[in-house]
Amino acid sequence: MRKYLFIYKSEVMSSLQYLANILFGFLGYFIMLFIFFQLWKYLYSDPDSVMNGYTMAEMVWYVIMTEILWSTLGGKNLCQKISNDVKSGNIAYNLCKPYSYIHYALFSHLGSITIKAVLYTLLGLVLGFCFLGEFPNISFLSILLWIISSIGSLAISSLFVIFIGLFSFKIEDANPFYWVYSKFILILGTIFPIEFFPKILRPILRYSPIFATTYGPANLFVHFSFQNAFRVLIAQFIYLGIAYVLCYFVYQKGVKKLNVNGG
Amino acid sequence: MLTAVKNQGRVSFLSIKYALMQEMLNRVTFFTNILFMILNNASFIIQWIVLYSIQNNVGGYTFKQILLLWGIAAGTYGFSHFFFENAYDLSQIINEGKLDAYLVQPKNVLLSSITSKVKTSALGDIFYGYIMCFFAGLGVVDILLFTILSIIGGITLTAIAVLLGSLSFWFQKADMIAESGNGFMTNFATYPDGIFKGIVKVLLFTLIPVGIVNYLPISILTEHKVEFFFLIFLFMIAIVFFAFFLFYRGLKRYSSSNLMSMRI
Repeated sequence: MRKYLFIYKSEVMSSLQYLANILFGFLGYFIMLFIFFQLWKYLYSDPDSVMNGYTMAEMVWYVIMTEILWSTLGGKNLCQKISNDVKSGNIAYNLCKPYSYIHYALFSHLGSITIKAVLYTLLGLVLGFCFLGEFPNISFLSILLWIISSIGSLAISSLFVIFIGLFSFKIEDANPFYWVYSKFILILGTIFPIEFFPKILRPILRYSPIFATTYGPANLFVHFSFQNAFRVLIAQFIYLGIAYVLCYFVYQKGVKKLNVNGG
Repeated sequence: MLTAVKNQGRVSFLSIKYALMQEMLNRVTFFTNILFMILNNASFIIQWIVLYSIQNNVGGYTFKQILLLWGIAAGTYGFSHFFFENAYDLSQIINEGKLDAYLVQPKNVLLSSITSKVKTSALGDIFYGYIMCFFAGLGVVDILLFTILSIIGGITLTAIAVLLGSLSFWFQKADMIAESGNGFMTNFATYPDGIFKGIVKVLLFTLIPVGIVNYLPISILTEHKVEFFFLIFLFMIAIVFFAFFLFYRGLKRYSSSNLMSMRI
């Protein structure tokens, strides 16, 4: 485990060199939050009205929290990196190294997004305050559980993206699969809470990865309860296992067929 | 003059043709890219179905108009990225000294550089635009109009990308400005202008001309406002001239990095 923590630490230090890139990324993040704020302001003609259990302020905070997770993840880059490692044969260099490629990819990616996560969270809170004029009434414990569940969410999402990136063992370009997966998470988990979908879909969404990766952590911030927190953490524990097993099997199967020309 | 334009057109066409042939070497990847881009765009319909279940009218747009807005956004984006993908990498090309290869060609440097790469998935965007037209119930004449509007919008988007990319002749970190600027154009493109007010709305029709590329074509398609057609056409001409002017002005400052690489 120490070697993976070292990889994580190295990536955190390395990402500090690219602060300008992160700061420019704020622009896109700000624009998305601004558009959603305008959209919900338009739909909630009366800000105190309740729509599917959410006031306008709760809805805006929900979107801010999910956008923090979504923008921080940087799934597109991770998928491309894994896909390129497979396509270029770089993955072969990892075979002789004393670490697991999946652990390496996970910890290095989490390291590269840590600074971004902190900065985006701070900016999200500031923007939320600017848009709404107040912070939600939440306790220290709920913030702590929200942070823990957000870390869990990023780890699960990263593993799912690694899993998709490893499809490159089978098909040359795994990116199209990532587009569909990311839109599935974006539409069904980031823009709206589960309560906005038809009743028939809600149980399916509650058992899907959306609950563990976006809806669960964001809902903890907006509607905190210990029962909710317990459910989210259990779901994350299960999905972390599922995502890891999926990565492990695709990697094991793919690496056996690996054929690298040259050196 | 006419012969020169004809020759340049032929060279650009061949450039796109060979770039496409290169992309088609792996057929499975080629078709997967197109199909999944259509699915990717289609997934956003869920968002609008949910929003229209709350209200019948979002930002002054009916559901049919939202479908057309998505159609125009996909069509313009697809046209621009399929034919002129390198316009979006112009900053990188300038910063890395890769313009050398186009400078030695006896043709237009800007057109040669921006047409030398195609983005396969953008074909999926173009097809998606027509699928939206079908679901919005457009007739044959309106679909032809949609095609013309997509081409005008696509050329405008390309000119904006060239303008932003050309800033790299002057500033080292202009690639980030270009990326953000192009991102603004796509982020606003799929939301109705009625939800924006005040200064933001003014910006959307001036500094970030999403209104001209995306919102006015909706008025043309649904209300047949001919004056808007001339407006977006004139805007396209003006911005294309400005893009050429800025690129060639910047090109005088360009210095080669003596990069040795092989282009296949």
